[in-house]
Amino acid sequence: MSYFNVEKKVKEVKTALNESVDFSYRYFKRGNQKLAFIYLKSIIDGQLFSSAVYFPLQTFEGELSIDKLKNDILKAIDIKEVKEMDIIKEVLDGRVVVVTNFSKKLLSIDLLKFPTRAPTEPPTSPVIQGPREGFVEDMQTNITLLRRRLKSKDLVIDVLRVGSQTQTKVCITYLKGIANKKIVKEVTDKIKKIKTDGVLDSYNILVYLENRPESLFKQVGNTEKPDIVTSKLLEGKVAVIVDNSPIVLTIPFIFIEDLQNSNDYYTNHHYSSFVRVIRLLGLLIALIAPGFYLALQLYHYNILPLNFLITIADTTQGLPFTPFLEILFIFLLFQILYEVSLRLPSYLGLATSVVGALILGDTGVKAGLISPPGVIIVALSKIALYTIPEQAPQITVLQLLFIVLGGSLGLIGLISGLVYIINYLNNYDSFCTPYLAPYSPRIPQDLKDAILVDPIYFQRYRPKSFSPEKKERV
Amino acid sequence: MKRKIKVIFKMPMMIILIIILLFFTPFAIYSPGENRNRGVVTALGIDRLGSEYEISLLTFIPTANQSYQEKSSVISGKGASVAEAVYNAQIAMGRAVGLAHAKTTVVNEDLLNEDVTSTIDYLSRVASLPENTVFICTNKSAKEMLESSHDLVNNLGLKLEQIVGYNASNLYVTDTSLEAFYKGYYSPTKSSLIGYLTIEDDANKSEENSEISQAQNTSEGQSEGTQGSSNSSSGSSGAQGKHIVNQGEAVLLKEGKKVAHLDVDQLNGINLLNPKSVNQIVTIDDVEKNGQTLSMQYKIKTKKTLITTKFENNVPIFVAHLILGVELVEINGTHENLKVNTEFSEVSKEIADKIEAKIKEQFTASLKVLRECDTDVIGLARTFFFNNRKEFMKFVEELGGKEEVDKFIDYVVFKLNTVIQPD
Amino acid sequence: MNKINVRQTGVIIVMCIFANKILLMPSLMYEQTSADSIFVLITLFLLDLAMLPIFIWLKNSYPDKKFYDILKDKLGVVITKIIYLALLCFFFFKCLLVFSITYVYFKQQIYHNEFIFMALIAFLPVINHAVLCGVRTFARTIQLFFGIVIAGFIICLIISLFTPIAAPYFFVSNASQFFSSLYNHVFSFGDFIILFLIMDRIEIKKGQAKHLYFYSLFAMFLVVTLFYLFYAKYQITAFMHNNALADLLVFSVQFNAIGRLDIIAMLTIMFITLFQMEIFNYAFCDCFVNIFPLLNKNYSVVVFDVLFCILYYVFIGRYETMVTSTLFWLPYLAIVINYILPLVMVLILIIRRRGEKKNKSNL
Repeated sequence: MSYFNVEKKVKEVKTALNESVDFSYRYFKRGNQKLAFIYLKSIIDGQLFSSAVYFPLQTFEGELSIDKLKNDILKAIDIKEVKEMDIIKEVLDGRVVVVTNFSKKLLSIDLLKFPTRAPTEPPTSPVIQGPREGFVEDMQTNITLLRRRLKSKDLVIDVLRVGSQTQTKVCITYLKGIANKKIVKEVTDKIKKIKTDGVLDSYNILVYLENRPESLFKQVGNTEKPDIVTSKLLEGKVAVIVDNSPIVLTIPFIFIEDLQNSNDYYTNHHYSSFVRVIRLLGLLIALIAPGFYLALQLYHYNILPLNFLITIADTTQGLPFTPFLEILFIFLLFQILYEVSLRLPSYLGLATSVVGALILGDTGVKAGLISPPGVIIVALSKIALYTIPEQAPQITVLQLLFIVLGGSLGLIGLISGLVYIINYLNNYDSFCTPYLAPYSPRIPQDLKDAILVDPIYFQRYRPKSFSPEKKERV
Repeated sequence: MKRKIKVIFKMPMMIILIIILLFFTPFAIYSPGENRNRGVVTALGIDRLGSEYEISLLTFIPTANQSYQEKSSVISGKGASVAEAVYNAQIAMGRAVGLAHAKTTVVNEDLLNEDVTSTIDYLSRVASLPENTVFICTNKSAKEMLESSHDLVNNLGLKLEQIVGYNASNLYVTDTSLEAFYKGYYSPTKSSLIGYLTIEDDANKSEENSEISQAQNTSEGQSEGTQGSSNSSSGSSGAQGKHIVNQGEAVLLKEGKKVAHLDVDQLNGINLLNPKSVNQIVTIDDVEKNGQTLSMQYKIKTKKTLITTKFENNVPIFVAHLILGVELVEINGTHENLKVNTEFSEVSKEIADKIEAKIKEQFTASLKVLRECDTDVIGLARTFFFNNRKEFMKFVEELGGKEEVDKFIDYVVFKLNTVIQPD
Repeated sequence: MNKINVRQTGVIIVMCIFANKILLMPSLMYEQTSADSIFVLITLFLLDLAMLPIFIWLKNSYPDKKFYDILKDKLGVVITKIIYLALLCFFFFKCLLVFSITYVYFKQQIYHNEFIFMALIAFLPVINHAVLCGVRTFARTIQLFFGIVIAGFIICLIISLFTPIAAPYFFVSNASQFFSSLYNHVFSFGDFIILFLIMDRIEIKKGQAKHLYFYSLFAMFLVVTLFYLFYAKYQITAFMHNNALADLLVFSVQFNAIGRLDIIAMLTIMFITLFQMEIFNYAFCDCFVNIFPLLNKNYSVVVFDVLFCILYYVFIGRYETMVTSTLFWLPYLAIVINYILPLVMVLILIIRRRGEKKNKSNL
């Protein structure tokens, strides 16, 4: 009894895949028994196919059956039975589908292989001490990196497919019994509801997870480091790993997380506390400094101590720009230089920095186009911005807002703007978690790993902010 | 685009931001800044010229340079009132007057012949002159004082308020700020004390004992000239040949009017009871040692005071216990006696008695002035009010009520117990 | 779960206690009762504090009920609406007064010119936004800035100690002056009334009520200390200094040795003013929504803004009028709200307790 017309099936698949150039198949015939291996040669391991699939089959003597093939003959690690309707999906996933004329069952063998890079230290979060491994684009490797750190039976890895065309695998990872079920469900539901043709990076998923996609502020955490994801999973968060992206998303996210850095956990806690205070200070300077300087110049000259006022008055005397335009000009100059140095190859980037710093800055001052205090203030705020590089895009936009507020309304504009932003952030809870926790609302238990850090042995409980199901760490 | 506009109008804060951008930001873009719109005044002087007032403003002039040196100029304006004079000075300056950084207010001595509060009222109440501004008086015009001080700043980097500040912390009973003046003015005794700096012509220079030497500014480049207005006149020419002399003097005011001029000895006398006032030099003459007559100078290094007050038979008695730590600083005599310097570090009974007599003499002299003027700047009434309120109130009632409280000082009996010991 | 916890309630109370009292009031009071103003202040604080146990009693008796519903059940709709109208006016004028005082302070200190448009465009949208976000949001914001505000306040007090101070004269005013001052300044008090309006939003767990006392007493202590230091520093000239907290920093006998540290006071005052206005605006809107149930919160915010701008223009340049109103005719309103309303609540509670006892005995 013939179950499949093998040649016809191959032809059907070929047509379905638009006779793709990397589409390939191989027949095997023994007596009446006929098999076809259907695959995309660009994404499977050819050598493994020969050694683990074709060679054992050739050397096997006797009548073939689907069970024998699955259990005895084929030597691949992952062999599973699939339905007829899934052939295309399996082939696209880098598997070899086996169609026979002696069984209605189909086999799918995992022989996926494509070029991947080895886990290296991610450029966005280098550490002085501590693990240097970073995630890569290959999801399997990323899961391996996590598994290596988390040998727990409670680690759940649910896979979903997103993107009608890309069919990207998205993994929802969490620790069962620790992560809040509500959060897991909300994340799963949101990912399931995504309707798009393609997911190229985790950012494409991130925008669907945010409660307020129109908001400027980050609502989902992202990292490239497996040790950070592990620690977040242990806190009761949910991680979303997206195939083809080295960035893993963590949910829920609170603002204080960007003040935390993996370095903090591998150095003395006093020092960690100190650097976090510095980061917070950097954030405030980055946010307020240009606007404040502008407010002082335009409205509140009398707040400035006389000596400082003299310096500013002398240096700004005779400038062609008004203070507002001057600050705006320097701000845009810095931003252009930053963008250029980011995009250019490193050897050119260095040249641009030299041109920017020496020629534009120094000559601008000497030519009397911009004033030294203006350059210092904007440069300070731009440098301070990178004490929290994760928040840099948001803060840059806010800097501009505060320049407008400080210049237009003075000190009251700045303070009102600040209070408005805090009100705004306090108004939304990301996945049942207050955004500015543990300070607003104040959660004393979570203050142990906030701006000031307690030694790890004092942190007996998981952060209350994320509502973990199991509160105690032990 | 349509959708974006809809989104914007759904967010009220966006509308607010647009309003700010439309209505306020253009002004900000065109605004040259306060420091270019305002003349930053660091000191001001008030003079009376007949029926007119003349306001002189020591104004900081921004100059494009990298040395960040304070370049100032004196700009003045006249008017029938202080407000009008300030307005005219403002016209002369071509900028709004900013008094927020004013550290010194100088008035001419003649202005103190009438209630000075009416003169400074506008400045402190309307023009927001800070109350911590140093308030001093001078013998010549306030304008000359500012011009001289302007040279002082440019040549020595020394400011008026620094000189007066030194005096305040070492000589005066209280500080000499506008606030302190008002405090005294509004007190029940209506008396206050302000600093006094003298301007001398160069001809008298050699006669002074504690003048501030300064290079007279003759260079045209360093002097800031008149600012091109009929009602302004200033510059180094006015100050040429004049210099500021600090003799630690003060002026005693009653109800805002000058009632007495105190020299440094009188101030020392008043300060006898002030534990913060130290470093005074006490000179005692006619000390007999080894058959020689010497003149010795002691410095008061430490001062501890314990004050008690009481009423005995309805007589207010002020008892002060003073422990003075003194140090021998100089001996004037023949050369051979200088060998015994170390021996004199011990304060003998004779010397202690002489020092005590000297300081009591100073105190009595000062008290006499205070009594003559009914000016209780040492806070006697306040001390009695605190310590013996009932008797004090009764006494004041007998004097003629609260209005007569300034006469209280005349009836106080002082008992000074001093212990003089080497520091 | 839009409720606020006890600590958040505490910080709201602290802001209300600071309202109107840290800038102009010390000098206004001094004109009447000299340094004895501290006793006036303490008396008014004690009268206010008596409201707290009444609130806690009411909250325990009606844990999740709205204040409006309690009044409606006991006094009927009409009287309740009249009471709410009085409350609406009370909070509106409080907000207006806070804004006026701060506006004048900033005009004198840092803006030099009229900047009313700027002030309105900076303050109103922020407070409106907070009100629309709800009590939980602005309570959280106040909580976040609470440490900064208190630190600023305490720094102002500490810095004032670096300049000579002398104990002020006490017991110099007579009973008539004392009571007249009590009456004149009663409008600036009644700080616990806000708690009644938001009682359904407050979550007080067992044994947590003491935190409310702690926060209240702490804020009162700070205000009394401010008064004392202000009078000790300025004494007889206290009447000339209209910005108490800031003036503690400005005057220094070391001739500006402390530089321009009054920026600390400015920032503290700015934060406090914004938070107070948020609270009062919220109270206004809450009253408005209850009086006009068909109109939602958005309308109440618009009405508030329109009224605020119009009334501010009526008072602009007539700051004295504003202050005089709070001293002379607004105290009538304040007495009704601060003292008569809590007494009514006590009566309601007593009647309820008797009813409960009766029911028990019948059973």
